[in-house]
Amino acid sequence: MQPQPSQDVVLSAQNIHKSFGTHEVLKGISLDSRNHDVISILGSSGSGKSTFLRCLNFLEIPTSGQVSVHGEEIVVRNGRPGDPRQIERMRQRLGMVFQQFNLWTHRTVLENVMEGPVQVKRRPKAEARDQAEALLARVGLAERMHMYPAQLSGGQQQRVAIARALAMEPDAILFDEPTSALDPELVGEVLKVMQDLAAEGRTMIVVTHEMAFAREVSTEVVFLHQGRVAEQGTPDKLFNHPDSEAFARFISNIR
Amino acid sequence: MALIDTLAQNWPKLIDGVGTTLALTGLGALIAAMAAPPLALLRAQGSALAQAPLRIYISFIRGTPILAQLFLVFYGSGQFRVELQSLGLWGFFRDPFNCAVLVFAINSCAYQTEILRGGIQAVAPGEIEAGRAIGMSRLTVLRRIVFPHAYRIAWPALGNEIILLMKASALASVVTVFDLMGRTRQIFSRSFDFSIYFWAAVLYLAMTISFVLLWRLAERRLSRHMTGQTPQGVQ
Repeated sequence: MQPQPSQDVVLSAQNIHKSFGTHEVLKGISLDSRNHDVISILGSSGSGKSTFLRCLNFLEIPTSGQVSVHGEEIVVRNGRPGDPRQIERMRQRLGMVFQQFNLWTHRTVLENVMEGPVQVKRRPKAEARDQAEALLARVGLAERMHMYPAQLSGGQQQRVAIARALAMEPDAILFDEPTSALDPELVGEVLKVMQDLAAEGRTMIVVTHEMAFAREVSTEVVFLHQGRVAEQGTPDKLFNHPDSEAFARFISNIR
Repeated sequence: MALIDTLAQNWPKLIDGVGTTLALTGLGALIAAMAAPPLALLRAQGSALAQAPLRIYISFIRGTPILAQLFLVFYGSGQFRVELQSLGLWGFFRDPFNCAVLVFAINSCAYQTEILRGGIQAVAPGEIEAGRAIGMSRLTVLRRIVFPHAYRIAWPALGNEIILLMKASALASVVTVFDLMGRTRQIFSRSFDFSIYFWAAVLYLAMTISFVLLWRLAERRLSRHMTGQTPQGVQ
């Protein structure tokens, strides 16, 4: 069952350019993400897909172009954030899950999940703890909540990272190759959690190499090639009737 | 036993000296520890211009003997007695104990800054990024992620620095502070019984060993997350 697409644009990126030195990685990418969208961003290595995702929450500052969250445009002045507070506010509404998990290794699993609500949202500790325990139960890690990240497998760490992002009750979650650092037998448990999130109507933007996920879970697929959107549309359209030769070549190489 | 007699006759003075040595070292290290974090941060992340005076200070301290630094402050302040009096600071500089604490704090701060800078630069960038991505302010990232990690990384080196400072504090005896070394020299000058130096060495060793044990205990607590064991009370 597909959730009804709403016209409410959560996150909008217009004409994003990003250069590192003289090397232009992104050459004008636009993307709108509406409520309940699950957008998969595909592309070969070096296509700029991770850079684009990182531009969405300003971990990389776009060289030019606009990003807005719920219609509020992020202000950039002279290549720097115009208002750090605005960026902090915006990031609270956009969760992020990293390829390398990036859990805080000096805090327990439970503390990792409570950290954002307590330190950023100033929620009472007891409330944050209840919420964190519930989220950890959801991702199947209730028994591990007093362990440290180093004591968990990669798949478990990534599920904690997802719980940590959910704890902020974000409007959308960005996933930066969430399964690429995992041993093959651990990929499934993380994809399962992501699939559940998609099924409950979460707005997600996922940079991935998992073709099955892109094809079966996402509502929209974007294919980046050499810093540009080479192809965009429903999974059915892209995987069955690709317009661009680049995408046809890309999927035939992956199989 | 002549050795035991020496101790029996002089222990109150020696213990008094131990107290002064601990106060000298403790105060110096503590003041340095309070000034080091912002300086280390500046050293790790500041602009080249902002770092310039800091680099000069650190290389001056590291490149000159601590005894020279002590003389500079102790005898130097005497030269400026009138000016210091007019500033109301002479009362402070007149006391050699204060001069010694000041020099040890300035000296240790340079070393602690460099040690902590190394710790700050070794924090995993991914963890900092995770903090920013969740909406933490710069200050919260420092307080909750950067410094906890930096101190854990720098901990053994910081302990070393404090031990070195404790041993260097014996130099304060040269400017008439009656720390452990000062007391020992005083006793020796009256009795010419060299065995008092043996007892001084024993007491320095006892202080160092106690400090190392305490420091290691703290280190174990700071490293809970690195042991690979289940935290206590769970299992």
